[in-house]
Amino acid sequence: MYTLILVLGICAAALFLAGFARGLRNAVIEYRRGKPEPTEVPDYNYVGMAAISVVISATVIALVGVAPMWIYAGPLMVLGTAAGIGVAFFVERPSA
Amino acid sequence: MDKSIFASMPSLTPSLGFASMIGLGLFSLALSYAVKTLLVRNTHDFIIADRRVGFGFGVASVISVWTWAMAVMMSSAMTFQWGLSGLFWFVVPNGLAVMAMIPFARVLRRNMPEGYTISEFIQYRFERSRVATGIVTLTMIFGIILEILINLKGTSVVVSTVFGIDWKVATIVGIVCVLAYSYFGGLWTSVLTGTLNTLMITVPAAIIVAAVFAAVPGGSEAVFNAVGDAGAQNLSVLRPDAAAGFGITLAFGLLAATVSDQTFWQKVWAIKSRDVGRTFLWAGALFYPIPICLGMLGLVGIAAGLTPADIGGDIAAIGPYIVAHIGLPLTLVLLYVLVILAACYSTIDGASSALSSIVAVDIVKRYFPATPERLLFPITKFSVLLGGVIATIIVLSGVDFTTLVLTTYALKTSILLPLILAILWPKTNTVGFVGGVVASIAIGMPIYEMVGELAGTLSIVAIGGLAVVGCGLMDSKEFDVTQLRRVSDEIASPAPGAE
Repeated sequence: MYTLILVLGICAAALFLAGFARGLRNAVIEYRRGKPEPTEVPDYNYVGMAAISVVISATVIALVGVAPMWIYAGPLMVLGTAAGIGVAFFVERPSA
Repeated sequence: MDKSIFASMPSLTPSLGFASMIGLGLFSLALSYAVKTLLVRNTHDFIIADRRVGFGFGVASVISVWTWAMAVMMSSAMTFQWGLSGLFWFVVPNGLAVMAMIPFARVLRRNMPEGYTISEFIQYRFERSRVATGIVTLTMIFGIILEILINLKGTSVVVSTVFGIDWKVATIVGIVCVLAYSYFGGLWTSVLTGTLNTLMITVPAAIIVAAVFAAVPGGSEAVFNAVGDAGAQNLSVLRPDAAAGFGITLAFGLLAATVSDQTFWQKVWAIKSRDVGRTFLWAGALFYPIPICLGMLGLVGIAAGLTPADIGGDIAAIGPYIVAHIGLPLTLVLLYVLVILAACYSTIDGASSALSSIVAVDIVKRYFPATPERLLFPITKFSVLLGGVIATIIVLSGVDFTTLVLTTYALKTSILLPLILAILWPKTNTVGFVGGVVASIAIGMPIYEMVGELAGTLSIVAIGGLAVVGCGLMDSKEFDVTQLRRVSDEIASPAPGAE
C-alpha cells in the first residue's frame, strides 16, 4: 500500500504542479492585459454537492471502524485533494 | 502491539530544524519576490489581488488558510482522545464551515462588488455606525492576532519537541521567515505560497501516514485489532460523550471562525466573482481528506497504549511523537515537519494579509480618507508585519493567553448570528446588531463561565439572534441591499501616472 500511495502521490503532485503553472501563467497574462473582470455572480446549485461531500467524509470515518483496509482511505483521499486542486486549475476559464 | 515500537531518533538535530524552517521561508521569499515583480503594483493589488484570483488558486488558498498547524495535530489528537467519534466531530463541521460561507459570500459579492472587508460592509449596512463598525473591526483584528498566535505557538512547540530547539528561538525564527516573504506581495503572495503549501500538506501527509502503518508490526490490521481491544467505543463514531464533550461546541466555533473572519472575506472579494461560490464548495469538500488522513495517526497512539504522560502531557503532540519515534527514515520525519510548517506559514501569511486589508480600508482610509496612494501602499505593506510582531511578543512573554482566547471567542461567537442576519435579513437594524452582540457577551459569557461550554455557546448564539430579530420586527424599516452596489471602490487602482 505504501508503494501505491507513493506512486499515486507523485502523479497527484505532477497534476497539481501542472495546474499551478497554468494558473500562474493565466494570472500574469490577465494582469498584464488589465481588462476589468465581470462582476456577475452566477447562480450555482451547491447544496447537493456539499451534502454529498459531508456524507462521504462521515461515511469513510465510520467505515474505518468496520474494517482495517479503510484506514488507507484517508491517505488515498488526500491525494485526491492534491489532484482535485490540480484539476481546478484546468477547469477554470481564463478571462477573455 | 505496545509502546516498545517507539524510540527516540538521535539524528534530529537543531540544525536540521533551522534548515527546515529557514529553507521553506527562503523558498517562499523567492516566490514572493517574483509575485511582487509580476503581479503587484499598488495597494489595490496588494490587498485584493485586483479581484483576479482564479478558481484553482482560490480553492487551494482557502484550504491552506483553513489548515492550521494545530488542526494538523488536533485531528490526530482528537482521534487519540475520543477514538473515531473524536475524528468524526472534528472533521465534519470543519469542511462544513468552509462551505457555509457560500450563501453569504454570494450575496455580498453580488450586492457589493467593490468591497474589501466585512467591516466595510457593516459600515455601509448600518449607516456608518461607528459602534457597529468598531465592534466588527475589533473582532477581526483579535481573530487575526489569535490565528497567528496559535499557529506560531503550535509550530514552536513541534519544532522544539522534534529538534530540541529552544521554543523561544523557534518562535522568532518562524515568524521572521513568514513575515519576510509576506511583506512583499500581500494577498497574491499569500495565495501562491498557500497553494504550494497545500501541496506540501496533502501529498506528504498521505505518504507519512502510509509509512507509519507500514512501520507498525502487523500493519493496519494490527492497529485496528489493538484499537478495538483497547475499547470497542474507539471504533464507533456514535459516542455521545464526544459530541457533548467538544463536538457541538466546536461546530459553532468553526462556523464563527469562517463567517467572522476577514481572512475568508478578503478572499470572497479577491476571487473572480464567477468563481466565488464553487471555490468555497470545492475548498470545503477537498479539505475533508486532510484531517481524515492525519487522524489515523491517533489510532496508532491508542493501539500502542500511549498515554498523555508518555508524550509530554499534551495530546496535541501525539502525531509528532508517533512520526518522530516509530523509526521512519529521517526524510519522512522532516517531511512531516514540513507539513506542519507549511500549515503554519500559510495560515499566518493569510492572516497577515487579511490584517493589511483591515488597516488599509477600515483604519487608514476610514479615518484619513485623503491619504495618498504613495503613503497608503507602504503603510499597508508595513501593517503585514504588525500582527506577527504583536503575536510574537505575546508568545515570548509567556503570559497565559486564555484571556485573549476567551475574548476572541466571545466576540466571534456573539457576532455570528447578527452578522449572518445583517447579510441576509433586510430588517436587521443598527440597534439590533449592536444590542445583539453586547447582550450575547453580557449575558451569554457569564452563562458560559457558570454552566459550561455547550450551554454557554448556545446561549451566546441564541441571545445575539433573538436580539436582532426582536429589534428588526419592532422596526418597519427595511434595508435596501441595492444601496451597496453604489459603494465605490475605496482603494481603486490609480490610473497609470496619476500618482
